[in-house]
Amino acid sequence: MLDPTRIDKITSDLLRPIRINNAFKLWMTVLIVALVICLYAYTLQLKNGLGVAGIRDYVSWGMYISNFVFFVATSLIGMLISAVLGLSGVKWAAPLARIAEIIALAFAMVAGLVIVSDMGRPDRLLYVIIHGRIQSPIVWDITVVSTYVIISALLLYLPLIPDLKICADKLEKAPKIQRDIYKILSLNWNGSPEQQKIISQATRALAIFIIPIALAIHTVTSWLFANTSRAGWDSTVFGPYFVSGAFVCGSAAVIIAMYFYRYNYKLQDYITDSHFDNMGKLLVLVSVVYIYFNLNEYMVPYYKMKKFEAIGIHELFSGVHAFLFWSTQILGLVLPTILLLFKGMRKPFPMMIIGIFVLVGGWFKRYIIVVPPQEHPYLPIQNVPMNFKIYTPTLTEILITVAPFILVLMIITILSKVIPIVSIHETLEEEIENPKPLKGM
Amino acid sequence: MFKKNIGIKISTIILVSLFSLQAFAQAWTIPAELKAKTSYIPFTSSTSKEGEDTYTKNCMSCHGNPGKGNSMKALNPIPPDLAGKVTQQRTDGDLFYIITTGRGVMPSFKDVFPEQERWKLISYIRSFNRQYVQVLSTFNPQKAKLVKFDITYNAVNHLVRVAVKATEKTGMVVLKNDSVDIYAKRYFGRLQFDNGMITDKDGIAYFKFPTDLPGDKAGNVEVIARVTDDNYGEVTYQTRMKIGVPTDKPGLTEQRAIWNVVSKSPIWLVVVFTSGILFLGLFLLYIGFSLWKIRKIGTL
Ligand code: HEC
Repeated sequence: MLDPTRIDKITSDLLRPIRINNAFKLWMTVLIVALVICLYAYTLQLKNGLGVAGIRDYVSWGMYISNFVFFVATSLIGMLISAVLGLSGVKWAAPLARIAEIIALAFAMVAGLVIVSDMGRPDRLLYVIIHGRIQSPIVWDITVVSTYVIISALLLYLPLIPDLKICADKLEKAPKIQRDIYKILSLNWNGSPEQQKIISQATRALAIFIIPIALAIHTVTSWLFANTSRAGWDSTVFGPYFVSGAFVCGSAAVIIAMYFYRYNYKLQDYITDSHFDNMGKLLVLVSVVYIYFNLNEYMVPYYKMKKFEAIGIHELFSGVHAFLFWSTQILGLVLPTILLLFKGMRKPFPMMIIGIFVLVGGWFKRYIIVVPPQEHPYLPIQNVPMNFKIYTPTLTEILITVAPFILVLMIITILSKVIPIVSIHETLEEEIENPKPLKGM
Repeated sequence: MFKKNIGIKISTIILVSLFSLQAFAQAWTIPAELKAKTSYIPFTSSTSKEGEDTYTKNCMSCHGNPGKGNSMKALNPIPPDLAGKVTQQRTDGDLFYIITTGRGVMPSFKDVFPEQERWKLISYIRSFNRQYVQVLSTFNPQKAKLVKFDITYNAVNHLVRVAVKATEKTGMVVLKNDSVDIYAKRYFGRLQFDNGMITDKDGIAYFKFPTDLPGDKAGNVEVIARVTDDNYGEVTYQTRMKIGVPTDKPGLTEQRAIWNVVSKSPIWLVVVFTSGILFLGLFLLYIGFSLWKIRKIGTL
């Protein structure tokens, strides 16, 4: 049995952040103000049409769609950490599972909204479902993304049930309504072996099911591009290329979140240096896989230099996009991978910085995949104004692109203010199995 | 150094002369009797209106609006503004010849429009010229009705035989030394087969017919023959002949296909998609049931 004082310590440590403090209020105010500004930009787009953005007839998928791909990508991490690592019995990842799930849920939920920002007539959104053709990858994408949102929410919720019970019992200072909600959602949890058995079976089933779904969301997203004949998108490795890139973005997002939780929520005992060390190694692994796919994706057409592919390759390697391309590849992928090979770099602070580079690089990488190939269609672009030929995002467009990030931050902030971001239940279980002295005891 | 300079000079000369070639369009060489050809259709505001419709669809993309000087400057030579002096100084026969035969970038409209429509185009072009006075041709278009075609096919040597005669009151007149073309009617326009021929002394011309031309289900092909005669004008004749390869291809949107409407999507896709949705539904039911059980155990 576990020492009751230790149980108390763990519980109170992990429950402590669940309260509304001034820092939270300030942070939310900043987010809300920023969101209102971005929403104003969106009303301009609603009123005046997509012309307020820099997208035109040729480059018709600009920042919005790059953003969508990025959001879908980042959300994949939930599946990697809670399903793949969880099912293969990787113990160290368990305390990070909830953080990964929260990130996954937030990004996946908002990804759907990002698509709406690219619609000229969002009021016709329902038509996609009513008149959608199941032959179209767009309909597959909607199907799998919404499935992923549901499954991710469940995968967050089910392991949370025991914790919700703890919240209902222990959070005496919380408003009554909040405690009632905890109580309802905790489904009369009493920790009996039958309940334990059902919940672990169902969680396991979810963890298994989410793997193909997660692979599907990003593979289908890649097919939105690869299923066309456009030079630069017409590639057979796009599926795994996108999936491996997704894990890079997602791991970086988790690392950044870990850093902020660790310091703001004072969880040094739970999100330890060794977690950072391991996440660093995981990021190296997924980055190396991604570098490998990058090599395939650029080396093969570069070697052949087929007429139309060559135009795009030139633009990326030495043309107008060269600076963006090389800085993204080097600063956002290659250099971080090399740095993380050193143990000294796999410490919280350097990793947080590296994580930001990787995440920003990840965003621009999506931009490079989406935008430049549209500038060189097979049929020549003729008799159009300059801004049809060269895509330049407008300020309105940038603000509308920023909005989803604010939404994600809001969702993550609120979720981590109402549920413990490291599972109390599992931490206790783990303590019983292999007790280890916590610092400060 | 010196040599290099000479090279530059020579190439400059060549370039300059090339440009001057472009600047001064070549003159049209038009046989005298064709130059003198005139329309048998009186140019009226209604023929000009019909001509305008044809012009808007077929000529405006290059020549622009007559009188506005907005023809497509990217072409070489630049298509002239047809309301301009150069064009208006040409005879009706010149214009008819140019539109009929074309040259380089200017397409030939011989196989696109029948003679009457070409004259109506000229009627439209002339409507921009106040000084223009039409000289009518004495040609009687009614005579075209007298012309009779007899088209037969020899399946052994794959030759189509076209015999042209006119039934005058005085008896049969054979149309010899006239040019004849034959075409197969396709979805878009006509497909000429073999070359244009000249009728022999018996008014007969032979054309090689391709053995692989698809016809309809029964192998029928709409064959169009056209003869141009000084006396009878341009006469066309269309007949249905069973000389193509019988072809029964369903339309591209009739079968289930990836590009079709949703009700005609491929079976495998319907199966995969719906079973995916079905599995998801069952799975969610299972999760819901598990949650329900947890709750129930808790209340015991
Ligand atoms: C593809 C572009 C194009 C189209 C379509 C076209 N033309 Fe032309 N046309 C030209 C060019 C180029 C010339 C000059 C040719 C030359 O001088 O060799 C020309 C010359 C002519 C001329 C002689 C003008 C002159 O005075 O020198 C006439 C008449 C003419 N076109 C009538 C027509 C008519 C009528 C149509 C529509 C039925 C038509 N064209 C469609 C490109 C075009």
